[in-house]
Amino acid sequence: MSAVKLRLENVGKSFTLADKTTTVAVQDFTLDIRAGEFLVIVGPSGCGKTTILNLLAGLEIASTGRMTIDDRIIAGPGAERGVMFQDYALFPWRNVRGNVEFGLRFGPAGAGLSVADREERVRATIELVGLTGAENKYPHQLSGGMRQRVALARLIANEPGVLLMDEPLAALDAQTRLILQDELLRIWGQDRDAPSRRTVVFITHAIDEAVFLADRVAVMTTNPGRLKQLIEIDLPRPRGDATRAAPRFHALTQQIWALIRAEAFRATIT
Amino acid sequence: MNRLARGLILPVLLLLAWEFGVGLMVEPGQAPLPSRVAAAGLGLLRSGDLPWGIAQSLGRVFSGFLVASMIAIPIGLVMGASRAVERNLDPLVESFRPIAAIAILPLAILWFGTGTPAALFIVAYAAFFPLIINTIAGVKRVDRRLVDAARTMGVGRVTILRTVIVPGALPQIGVGLRLALGVAWTAIIAAELAVGAKSGGGGSGGIGQMMFVFYAYSIELNSIVVCMLAVGLVALLLDRGLRAALSHAMPWGRA
Amino acid sequence: MRAPPALRSVGVYLRTMLVFMLAWHLVSALVGNRILLPAPLVVAEAFWRLALAGELLEHATISIARMLLAVCLATMVALPFGVLMGLYRWAEELVDPIVELLRPISGIAWIPLALFLFGIGHALPVYIMFYAALFPILLGTIAGVRGVERRLIDASRTMGVPMTRIVGHVVLPAATPSILVSLRLGVASAWTSVIAAELVGAPSGLGYAIQWYRDMLVTPRMMSFIAMVGVSGFICDAGLRWLQRRLTPWAPMRAVLA
Repeated sequence: MSAVKLRLENVGKSFTLADKTTTVAVQDFTLDIRAGEFLVIVGPSGCGKTTILNLLAGLEIASTGRMTIDDRIIAGPGAERGVMFQDYALFPWRNVRGNVEFGLRFGPAGAGLSVADREERVRATIELVGLTGAENKYPHQLSGGMRQRVALARLIANEPGVLLMDEPLAALDAQTRLILQDELLRIWGQDRDAPSRRTVVFITHAIDEAVFLADRVAVMTTNPGRLKQLIEIDLPRPRGDATRAAPRFHALTQQIWALIRAEAFRATIT
Repeated sequence: MNRLARGLILPVLLLLAWEFGVGLMVEPGQAPLPSRVAAAGLGLLRSGDLPWGIAQSLGRVFSGFLVASMIAIPIGLVMGASRAVERNLDPLVESFRPIAAIAILPLAILWFGTGTPAALFIVAYAAFFPLIINTIAGVKRVDRRLVDAARTMGVGRVTILRTVIVPGALPQIGVGLRLALGVAWTAIIAAELAVGAKSGGGGSGGIGQMMFVFYAYSIELNSIVVCMLAVGLVALLLDRGLRAALSHAMPWGRA
Repeated sequence: MRAPPALRSVGVYLRTMLVFMLAWHLVSALVGNRILLPAPLVVAEAFWRLALAGELLEHATISIARMLLAVCLATMVALPFGVLMGLYRWAEELVDPIVELLRPISGIAWIPLALFLFGIGHALPVYIMFYAALFPILLGTIAGVRGVERRLIDASRTMGVPMTRIVGHVVLPAATPSILVSLRLGVASAWTSVIAAELVGAPSGLGYAIQWYRDMLVTPRMMSFIAMVGVSGFICDAGLRWLQRRLTPWAPMRAVLA
């Protein structure tokens, strides 16, 4: 049993709206995330999955409960929990290399690195995500898939212990998505064993994506957002196109869909 | 400390510094101080000079503004709707736009003399450009798909202009109206100032001219400051008033 | 074979201006008064002579130099204030009332008082233009800083970058497109005031020249200088647009006209 990396205990988050009413985004959320695992949170729109991610990232503070990383309380953002946003959040005035090196140049992750070391790490990361040759291009010159890779590279270059990803593939077309799912697993190191991999918390609303990527899937309900069920994904690694064709894959997606379906329907009429 | 109180700190401090600090630095003598300005202001109000001056200037602004609207908005609508018309007229608009109304003033005086017609011309000229540019932009920003939807229902071109394009462009035209009013007010002050300077204090009146008289003849700095404040206040009220009128006319939302 | 787009738009421009000149010529022939409305060719000739004599350039340079100085000064004041006010609510609440009080008083309304303070000379136009450019640049900077995508700041925070570095390396670059747009507006605003300020209070510059030739009733020359105002304004704006393209190739060129 691998060690617990992130722990959420009875976490709750409420927001006060402009008209002074309170809305409860997340309630009583308890979950242990193991070191080196790929955990995917899935649920209907508005179920609070992004809130959970923001809480883990430290961009929001929990109203109730507590969250820890390696047994230290999470109180704000930090370079050990890297975040990849849905719309990439690339700096438009910096080229690919400039974006990837940003955290190393201006944040604590680059402390103690000589300029040569830093440049080497940047180069290696760019190579890892498959963007060698595009270092001098600017975001507005890149395709969606390429921007995705840059965002990922910027994240990895800081070598965070935890990767938090908020629907990173949502803005891509279906074909690019499949390719990048494979690439994501490769870059994460799916053929290595758990202790040498980074912990990933991944949000999506696409069930097939969740099943393909995850070690475990956390299914959430909506209004308020709570953990409905935790499902172990026992598909063998490394995963690829063959996995998507396997009967077990199909069974798992159906199982999860059955959990969500009623709420997803309700979301289209309220 | 609530927001209103916080907002007053700096103005009050500056007013106090002005009132008492100036006296410490230089000979108070003729210098305008808040207290003196206030006194002068009351005097001008009571004598009726200030309201009369404002009324004169406002009258010109409104007339010129009206004239500009009646010319700029129709032309702008057509230019926005028709690529061809825009391409042909745009060079004229873009060539004259950088030439501020005030640069035209000597020409206007040459043609119309130092009276009201010249002032009207300047105001209309100044208001024309923001109006036409924003009208064109407003028409362009109307979602093409709305126009297409109307066309697929068999609606004729002119009707589309009236029922889809004009309402759709209204928010941006409103922006143009507000800009134009502001520019028109500035233009009339400038025109009255310049006319006052050149016609030696005679001429057509208005608050701009009052300011010049206070500068060149009676040398009343306090009254000048009163006029400046009046100019600012009127500008503010004009803008707020227009904004209120516009949001009333367009309950479906702003630009 | 159709000409390339750039050539075509120049063609349309020339064609429209030609029509305009023709109409002008007809009207001036009808009016028949050389002082009131000289024919376009006469004006063109005057323009050419003045250009050759260097007079156009001389006055234009003076006016433009004053404007650039004023805009620089305005930027030096507006930028720091704008960044502070855009980032921090308390700064905005403190300074905003003053801004809202002073802003409606146009730069031109300051001319009589400024005449007292500065007298006739270089300082007066520069002050008036400084004042005129200040508010568009300030407001534009605040909007630009406020408009920086929250995401970019969040991303930097999740990389552990401290706030001071975020301001310099994220907020400012991200706000640069808006700031440049507000600079263009500031320049336009200042340019509108330059003529008024020089008409009344300066011994040189385009505004002065316009007034001088009007007093002498030499209309063709007066019109030439008026045209020069337009040309100079256009050149300044074109220069800023070029700067926009160089510095921020990823951004749209125009803000919403509001």
